Amino acid sequence: MVKISRYILVFTAIVGLSVVLPQFYRMALEKPGRNPLIQYSCIDHDFIIFRPDADDKWTNREGTKLTREAYEKKLPFMYTRQLVMDRTMPDSINGEKINIQHAGIFRSNFRITPDEIHAPKPKLYPLFESQSGRANLEMPNDFFRITWRMEFIDAQTNRILEDKSRMFSAVLYNRGFQFPATSINGIPTTRKSYDEGYLVIDSANQLFHIKMVKGEPFVRQVELPTGMKFKTIQCVDFSDKLYYAYLFTENNELYVLTPYDYMLEKFEVDDINPDAYEIRIYGDYFNFNVITIGNGFIRTQVVDRDHNKVDEYAETRPTYDMRPEGKIGQFLFPAELKMTDDNSSYVNFFLKMSKLYWWLILSLVLIIAQYFIIRQRKKNIRTEIIDLMLIGLTGIFGFIAVNIFPNKFID
Amino acid sequence: MWKSIIYKEWLKIRWFAIIYAALGILVVGNIFLKVQHDFEFSQEAYYWYSILFNQYRFYEYSLFKFVPLIGALAIALAQYFPETVNKRIKLTFHLPINENKALMVMMLFGAFCLFAIAAVQLLLFTGLSLVYFPAEIVQSALISIAPWFLCGFVVYFLTALIVLEPVWKYRFLYLLVTATFVPLYLQTAAARAYSPALPLLSVFTVLLSVALWFSGYRFRKGEM
Repeated sequence: MVKISRYILVFTAIVGLSVVLPQFYRMALEKPGRNPLIQYSCIDHDFIIFRPDADDKWTNREGTKLTREAYEKKLPFMYTRQLVMDRTMPDSINGEKINIQHAGIFRSNFRITPDEIHAPKPKLYPLFESQSGRANLEMPNDFFRITWRMEFIDAQTNRILEDKSRMFSAVLYNRGFQFPATSINGIPTTRKSYDEGYLVIDSANQLFHIKMVKGEPFVRQVELPTGMKFKTIQCVDFSDKLYYAYLFTENNELYVLTPYDYMLEKFEVDDINPDAYEIRIYGDYFNFNVITIGNGFIRTQVVDRDHNKVDEYAETRPTYDMRPEGKIGQFLFPAELKMTDDNSSYVNFFLKMSKLYWWLILSLVLIIAQYFIIRQRKKNIRTEIIDLMLIGLTGIFGFIAVNIFPNKFID
Repeated sequence: MWKSIIYKEWLKIRWFAIIYAALGILVVGNIFLKVQHDFEFSQEAYYWYSILFNQYRFYEYSLFKFVPLIGALAIALAQYFPETVNKRIKLTFHLPINENKALMVMMLFGAFCLFAIAAVQLLLFTGLSLVYFPAEIVQSALISIAPWFLCGFVVYFLTALIVLEPVWKYRFLYLLVTATFVPLYLQTAAARAYSPALPLLSVFTVLLSVALWFSGYRFRKGEM
């Protein structure tokens, strides 16, 4: 039993060390790397790039250096204020006369990161009054859940509002909603320009639009192509009011949902995977820049306002594992254990094994070192076989652990 | 014989256990005093909203996160430090009972006290939470505070290991291991973020309950 307690302690030390040592190593040696901003210029009809870390910060796709002013001129919808200040904002672009105020309506910014997808979601939401007649949205006093029915809970009394719950549940039921909801998506804040309620997926994978209009439920089912499933639905509040939401499918496709007619329109882009990549979508008067940023790459796909593909550009750069400090790290550590991960907001045991097997060399050296330690202590090698195996498997973590918890008396 | 051992353990830790229990109740009470105050001074709906969407963690008030850790540390020191003075634990080892079993009973008694105090705090916390919040918020809060209470047990087991270790050099090394392991339970995280890690953290906690055997063995074998 004492032996077991020792191995449990050794295991504990291995777990603790495999979190702490790689973390210290990274903090000491990891170099930051900022992603370039790759944008499509509606002037040049080509990509221009801003690299914050480079000497030549502003270039075009071919690498020709640009001045900051020249760069900004090529992105008139992004740097409109600066160009207006400099009196260099063009009157017309691509043969179209540009009204700055009108063009500004079509500007939109959207960003989603994997840690927002892999995050604990609130299970209660406020349902705003969509047509209150007031200029500003007001926070309701109750929050809803959709479990076996749609229930509203009054925050003041912490009790269910039966009448409201029955009314909404009945309408949902009559519209074919299959309880419970599996995903509730909206913009639960009063700081939005208007309210459009929530887009809710039910247990039969049907999509519903639910909102409250003058105290009454508004429920509308959205027709989905057969088998379409979503990784996430992100409702948006853009000034052009052309879309309710960006919808990211399980097939890594991107759709928008249009208001009133509830049409799903596909963006002609591919590999839009919010599970693994940061997604940015910048819209302007002419185009949408759909940017995906993953580990070691950045890719910009451009679609026009009809969502047809215009062009695309991608760059790769060395990841941490490919850089010298990462390679030395993979020599020192067989694995890295983290409690948090860049792609998740959860706390969990995130184990990342070394892709290279160089750590086996260090393990071998450490086994030999341990052999000499055993010899020096005049111990029987047979009783230390498990320790040597642990060092072989866990490298420096095991070596430190078996020496912290001595095997002296347990022969 | 076993009753006497348990009674001896109780005599050692009783004041610390009572003070820890009282501190825990006071801290939980203080958390809900703050909740009640905030409910009075701001709208209830906004308070719920802050918890649901603005990452407001009402249960972190009054350093509740560290209460189980401090309580466990105090109880472990009270229980095992006197045993190291003049190596008194050897008296226990000279009793006509199994040495490992004696250590296990000591450890189980300490752990039971911690469990009982944690249960009181958690019941109080849950009961008061349900007055102010719906089940979803209460469940999230309980998942979020669960690792702190598991941390209390881990600190208790590892403190016992360190205190009973006879060699100072190893005490220091065990302390380093503790310093690498305990923070796994105390990460700053959103409500419910710990849910995937809780099963494995619970397994680690249970496994560490036998840590005491190791230094107890070294102690009774006279390692210096």
